[in-house]
Amino acid sequence: MATHDNIHSRLVAWLKVILPLAALALLSTLFLVSRGIAPEDALPYSEVDVEELAREPRLTAPRYAGVTLDGAALSVTAEVARPDVGGAGQASATALTARLETPDGVTTDIAASDGQLDTAAGLLTLTGDVRIAASSGYAITTGALTAALDQTLLTSPGAVVATAPMGRIDAGAMQLTSQDGDYVLVFNGGVKLVYEPRN
Amino acid sequence: QGTNLTVSGLQQDTGAPVEVTADSLQVDQAAGSAVFTGNVLIVQGTMRLAAAEVRVAYAKAADGTPDTGTIDSMTATGGVTLATATEAAEAAEAVYSPQSGDLVMTGDVLLTQGGNSVSGQTLTIDLDTGAGRMDGRVKTVLQTGTAGGN
Repeated sequence: MATHDNIHSRLVAWLKVILPLAALALLSTLFLVSRGIAPEDALPYSEVDVEELAREPRLTAPRYAGVTLDGAALSVTAEVARPDVGGAGQASATALTARLETPDGVTTDIAASDGQLDTAAGLLTLTGDVRIAASSGYAITTGALTAALDQTLLTSPGAVVATAPMGRIDAGAMQLTSQDGDYVLVFNGGVKLVYEPRN
Repeated sequence: QGTNLTVSGLQQDTGAPVEVTADSLQVDQAAGSAVFTGNVLIVQGTMRLAAAEVRVAYAKAADGTPDTGTIDSMTATGGVTLATATEAAEAAEAVYSPQSGDLVMTGDVLLTQGGNSVSGQTLTIDLDTGAGRMDGRVKTVLQTGTAGGN
C-alpha cells in the first residue's frame, strides 16, 4: 500500500480504522454491557385480586331510593355492597350515606361506616360511628341506627350525643318518627341538656 | 295585697349554664318546640327546679321565626318544687326565663325560708337581685326566736 505523503490521505486512512472501532464499541454497549431485561415486570399488572372479584358478586357505588308511606324520600348510597348469602334482598354495604327528606322540609343526612340492608324486612341497620345531621340544626352521633324503609322511623337504641341549636344533649336512646303529620325527634332513656344562656 | 321579700338564696348569676335532666325529650322538627317529660330537673348555679314536665319556648328571631338557639322561657307544670341553699318553694306551675332571670311560680305557692314560711297564689322572683314578691291571699308564718330563724 503506497505511503501517503500528504496529511489528508493519512488522516483518512487513520479514520478508516478508528471510526469502525468506535462504532463497534457503541454497538457493544447497546447489547453486551446493557442491563438484563426482566421479562416479568415489563407490564405493570393492577393489584386487584382478580380471583376475589370473580368469586364474590358485589356492586360498586350502589344506590337505593324509595319513598316511605308518610311521604318522606329516603335515598341510600354506599361505596361497595355485597349481597348476603343469608336471604334474598339482603345486602351488607360499606361507607354508607343516607338522606331522608321529610315533607316538613327538614333534610336528615346520615353517614355510617357500614350497614346491612334487608329489603324483605324493610330495614336498614347502620353501625360503626353513625353521624346524623338534620337541617333543623341537630347533629347526632351514635353507635348504631336502624332506619325503616317503609315508614319514617329512625331508631338508635344505644347512647346518643347530640349538639342541638340550644346546647349539647346526651341521651340513652333516640328516635325520629312521624306523629300525625309532623316529624318528632324523641330522646329517651335519660336526657341531659346543657344550655348556655346568651344574655 | 302583696308582700315583698328577699329570697337571698336565689340571688345568683343567671349567666351560668342551665342543665336540664329528664327521662325523655321530644322535639318537633319543623316547629322546633321541645318538651321534657318525666321527673325533669332544671339546675342553674344553686337553684334546682324539679317538675313533671317542662316545655321550652324559644325566643323569636328578627324575622319572627323561632330562633332555636336561645331559650325564651321554660314552663314547668305538674307540681313544681324549687330548692336553693337556704329556701324551698312549692307551686303548681312555674315559668323560668333564663334570658331575663325571672322566675314566676303560680298556684298555691308555699315558700319556706329558714323557719318562716309564706304562702300565696303567685310568687315572682328576680334571680339577678334575689328580690321576690308574693301575691294573692298571702299568709306568713313567722318562727319566733325559739327555733332560731335566720
